[in-house]
Amino acid sequence: MSAPSYGLIATFNTAPELYHAAEQVRDAGYRNWDCITPFPVHGLDKAMGLKRSIVPRISLAGGITGFCTGMTMIWWTGAVDYKLIVGGKPYFSPMFAFPVSYELTILFTAFATIIGMFVLNGLPMHYHPVLKYDQIRKGMDDTFFIVIEARDPRFNLANTKALLEKAGGKAIAELEP
Amino acid sequence: MSSPAATAPAAFPAESAAAPAATKALVIGAVGIALTLVGLLVSGTKVVAYSWLVGMTFWTAIAIGMLMLCLIHHIFDASWSTVIRRQFEHGLSAFKWLALLFLPLAITPFLGHNADLVWPWMDLTNEIHGGHTVGHDPLYLKKSAFLNSNAFLIGTFGSFLLWMWLAARLRKASFTQDKDGDLKWTFMNRKTAAFGLPIGAFSLTAIAIFWVKSLEYHWFSTMYGVWFFANCVRGALSVGVIIMVWLAARGDYKGILNKNHYHSIGMLMLAFTVFWAYVTFSQYFLIWNANVPEETFWYNLRELNHDGSTNQWWYVGLALLFGHFFLPFFFLLSYRFKVTPHIIRRIAFWILGVILLDMCYNILPAMKDSHEDSLPFLSLNLVWTLTSVVGVGGICVWSYLRSFPTAKLIPIRDPRIGESLTHHE
Repeated sequence: MSAPSYGLIATFNTAPELYHAAEQVRDAGYRNWDCITPFPVHGLDKAMGLKRSIVPRISLAGGITGFCTGMTMIWWTGAVDYKLIVGGKPYFSPMFAFPVSYELTILFTAFATIIGMFVLNGLPMHYHPVLKYDQIRKGMDDTFFIVIEARDPRFNLANTKALLEKAGGKAIAELEP
Repeated sequence: MSSPAATAPAAFPAESAAAPAATKALVIGAVGIALTLVGLLVSGTKVVAYSWLVGMTFWTAIAIGMLMLCLIHHIFDASWSTVIRRQFEHGLSAFKWLALLFLPLAITPFLGHNADLVWPWMDLTNEIHGGHTVGHDPLYLKKSAFLNSNAFLIGTFGSFLLWMWLAARLRKASFTQDKDGDLKWTFMNRKTAAFGLPIGAFSLTAIAIFWVKSLEYHWFSTMYGVWFFANCVRGALSVGVIIMVWLAARGDYKGILNKNHYHSIGMLMLAFTVFWAYVTFSQYFLIWNANVPEETFWYNLRELNHDGSTNQWWYVGLALLFGHFFLPFFFLLSYRFKVTPHIIRRIAFWILGVILLDMCYNILPAMKDSHEDSLPFLSLNLVWTLTSVVGVGGICVWSYLRSFPTAKLIPIRDPRIGESLTHHE
């Protein structure tokens, strides 16, 4: 292998071509690769063999944290730190702690979802090697790409190139790191 | 502007197979009604009238929910729900039978000194707690413009007529479009939805107040119609899921439903679970926080006896808190549970059960003993409630199954049918 490249990029003209090529790359066992499409392609996640995102679990964890924070905060302020009778109510009751807990559940769920999504996607990302590819702008218009990264354990310049050719990829090129 | 009416590929088994179960449902309904009539002899008129009201409210709520879901589908020009909308349209055929089944309760205003059989304010000479009569009760007099027998009857049957009219418009437009594929039916449905939604919202609120809330006419709650609406839609969605799984298992929906349809209806079920909890908790919380006797008595009746001991309704209330909210909420959070037909069907049956419990909780404690304590939940009376639910339900299911073979399984020429058939695929 010559100077290490970021990986290989192949061009596809239609969504079905890309879809079936993705299935072949998936079946060949690659992990570090991606599809670049100008619009969301329904079912592509399945063709790429992607599992469901774990963001919902992070959201749930955020929600539970928010709920507990609200309950604990109202209990601690009202029943421990500064005991005060308001409206003849007990020092602490889950009733009046509920609106606060509910709001914090929503707030923390939203934070966890956004932060979880950013972290899992590696955002914010100011540079990505495909941006150097001169045809990449077409990927925002009418062209589809598959990028297989060189760090994938199965990556082998000749074999991977052959796979992409077999899958119908055109203008296969190496990407600068 | 929509695309020209699409036609579904001929390969889809769009012809509805005749449902031989209709007769069975009618027999079950008749048996339920007959058993409820036996209850008249065993437990007396009052108990059975209350039980019948529970059965009526439960099934009317589901029918209203189906009506509202159809209207919401059209107002949003929704696509995914097109393949299941037809089942709701069949369900709408039950309104006329529900109106008929309400007649036994509609005669209560004409019972003279027994007019307070179910609704205490219907007999103005009825002596209430504290020694004076309803006719001299300031809290009644202030509300009497709304709470009187004429308004009750007009409100009830006027609402039924409006629902039947809206249902007839929706059904006619949808069924005729199957034959001629004309887009004007889609536009007609959209108009029906635009004026039908406010009509539906007002009428279901009126029904919730007349039928259920006015059982304790001293009480105030501005959340009541919203609470009822939440139950209506949750019930209709649950019945929708049960029908989807049934028709998919029977093969009718083969090649039509994919897991995204289950996912979408499951998400709506989750959303309305939270909605129900939000309004029900708000109602409780505001009354708890303000602590005004005119309002708290409604919950006291459902927690305590006059001697301060806990009554059975306290446990029913807790069962609602955990069974009507927490369990469905955590259950429906799971993607896998939502998209697996036999699993989402479980929670659909569960939700129907807790809606019934919610109706019991709101209606039955208005029946009181000589100490003004609520009659207990677990008693022979519950049997007549269940027979009423089976009786009214049998008729509703029969009406649905009778309508089922009269139209295609799915609206094959709806402009959105193509999108719906390939929902997220």
